[in-house]
Amino acid sequence: MAISLAESLSVGLADILTRKVRSAVTVIGIILGVMSIMVVLAIVNGMNKSTLEWMGERGGLSKIEVHQNWAYDFSKGGDASFDLREINYIRQQVPEAAAFNPQTQLNPREMQYGELGYTCSLLGVFPDMVKVEDWPVKTGRFINQLDIDNHNNVVVLGSTTATELFSSRSPLGQYVTYTGNRLLVVGVMEPKFLQNQGGGESFGGENALEYMNQRAFVPLSTLLSKIDPNQRINSLSLQAADPESAKQLRRKVEDIVLDLKRGKRLFMVDSAQEQMEQMKRNSQIFSTIFVLIAVISLLVGGIVIMNIMLASVKERTREIGVRIAVGARRRDVFLQFLVQTVLITGLGGVLGIILGYGVLGGVGKYLKLQVIASAQMIWVALLVSVGVGLLFGTLPALRASTLDPVEALREE
Amino acid sequence: MTEIIRTANLVKDYSLGKVKVRALNGVDLTIGEGEFVAIMGPSGSGKSTLMHIIGCLDTPTSGEYHLDGVLVSEMEKNQLAMVRNRKIGFVFQSFNLLPHLNVLKNVELPLMYAGAGQKERNLKARQIIDSVGLSERLRHKPAELSGGQRQRVAIARAIVNDPAILLADEPTGNLDSQAGGDILEIFSRLHSEGNTVIIVTHDKAVANRAGRIIRIMDGRIENGDIAG
Ligand SMILES: Nc1ncnc2c1ncn2[C@@H]1O[C@H](COP(=O)(O)OP(=O)(O)O)[C@@H](O)[C@H]1O
Ligand SMILES: [Mg+2]
Repeated sequence: MAISLAESLSVGLADILTRKVRSAVTVIGIILGVMSIMVVLAIVNGMNKSTLEWMGERGGLSKIEVHQNWAYDFSKGGDASFDLREINYIRQQVPEAAAFNPQTQLNPREMQYGELGYTCSLLGVFPDMVKVEDWPVKTGRFINQLDIDNHNNVVVLGSTTATELFSSRSPLGQYVTYTGNRLLVVGVMEPKFLQNQGGGESFGGENALEYMNQRAFVPLSTLLSKIDPNQRINSLSLQAADPESAKQLRRKVEDIVLDLKRGKRLFMVDSAQEQMEQMKRNSQIFSTIFVLIAVISLLVGGIVIMNIMLASVKERTREIGVRIAVGARRRDVFLQFLVQTVLITGLGGVLGIILGYGVLGGVGKYLKLQVIASAQMIWVALLVSVGVGLLFGTLPALRASTLDPVEALREE
Repeated sequence: MTEIIRTANLVKDYSLGKVKVRALNGVDLTIGEGEFVAIMGPSGSGKSTLMHIIGCLDTPTSGEYHLDGVLVSEMEKNQLAMVRNRKIGFVFQSFNLLPHLNVLKNVELPLMYAGAGQKERNLKARQIIDSVGLSERLRHKPAELSGGQRQRVAIARAIVNDPAILLADEPTGNLDSQAGGDILEIFSRLHSEGNTVIIVTHDKAVANRAGRIIRIMDGRIENGDIAG
């Protein structure tokens, strides 16, 4: 003879509707808590994915990079560069590296083709650059070992450099001039593209990798011997056989470089795999902290709800007495109040999810951040809000269901 | 005459801190099916306490109470809820309607706790509301009704489950004489239709309609079981 759950639901819903403002106020904590959990997780997910995509575009997880150590005090002497002899020595020490690309970059100067000019960065590289960066040529060919050995005056253009100078015509077989050197165009790179995150409109608009398309590549030997003999090699990239061995190779390279520079930490050696692991750890810490804050706000919201429901039970003492007098059992009264609390928090959860989607839409659109909201998150948010209702609705419901009807009916 | 209520040596103590108050001091009472009984007595004599026990809203400290042949003084809470729902209709002095429910919903309440379906509830409640003359007020909230109308809604609610006994604790106490007269008419009619009616009252007019008057004093019945 107890009333059904459906009945409790409809009674609870009716109660909520007669106390709209109070219900709305009650639930704000839950709405905000659920919303922040959703937004934080979606942003962290998105950032992780963006970083992985970035790493994927920049040569993948097996990549190892040697570059200047920004933390080093260069006033103590030493400079963060290699000469060709050192590069050859390192190469001999790491036969297991799947690819090996030292490079040097000139300050941007004008590249000329006939009447036209385009300011671009010229890089001296090894043939392995296509492997290290996982970046194929679109037309023609890339620099090969013969070009390196013979210091050939050949150039491979980034896609933007190519269109700026040649528009739709093929640059292959044409000569361009760079600081007085005539260079034969032998290839054009595939355009690189990665959706820009965080509204970085100033460089290359939508494309976070546009700067790579604005480059041009010559054999490292040609650059060092003919174009700018003062230039030194200031960075080195390698590919390990796979992401697992990247860590080991990184350590080895670090030791070799340190040894080569007589113990001076002029260089930093990073591996993409480890950076990714570090990033994952960081984002885990980050999301744990934020989810913890959100959970605390949910608990505070739950305590607020509990107090409001306790006040409501007190205020409705007479109503409870009447219900008991006409035949409500303890369980009916208990369910009525518990279901009502759960409905309020559940509704708050739904509103929080909707609001969360709204905020995420705004974040995605205006901040140009990749956000990933998963279905799993929605379930977690719903479960959490219902759980808060169950947790904090129990005491008020218990208090209501244990009222003495005679006392309750006496209440004014 | 079949007896519907029988109490033996009912005692009810309240403790106010260290002081014990004996509200009922050995009540022996028998009421037959279909009787119309008025309970009278000075304020504080224990009338309401007795009604609450008869209405299964409260349990005696000691003594026995049989309702419709069943010993209810030993029942536990959930069973009492069932008895309240099925066997008892209670009308209070202060109406005790739920303020945010309309007339129809208020009257449906006992049917809901009886587990009746929405259709059956609606049908029965409308019939009963019609019988107390409030068909035009189905969607009104209690605050939109006069005192007499509210008490009629309360009576409709009390009888909608077709209870074995109808209890009323000073039902006309908050009404003017006109409205009180209307309410008394309804109780008389219900009695004439075969219902057992027990009314606590100070009102001579009410008492005069009753088949029997039970006088209560200091938690004891004065005139015993003598028919009035
Ligand atoms: N909950 C209670 N706690 C303490 N004393 C009570 C309580 N309810 C009733 N009493 C006392 O019991 C006695 C009978 O009360 P009641 O049955 O309400 O009388 P009546 O209805 O005849 O006016 C009174 O002395 C009253 O003060
Ligand atoms: Mg009284």
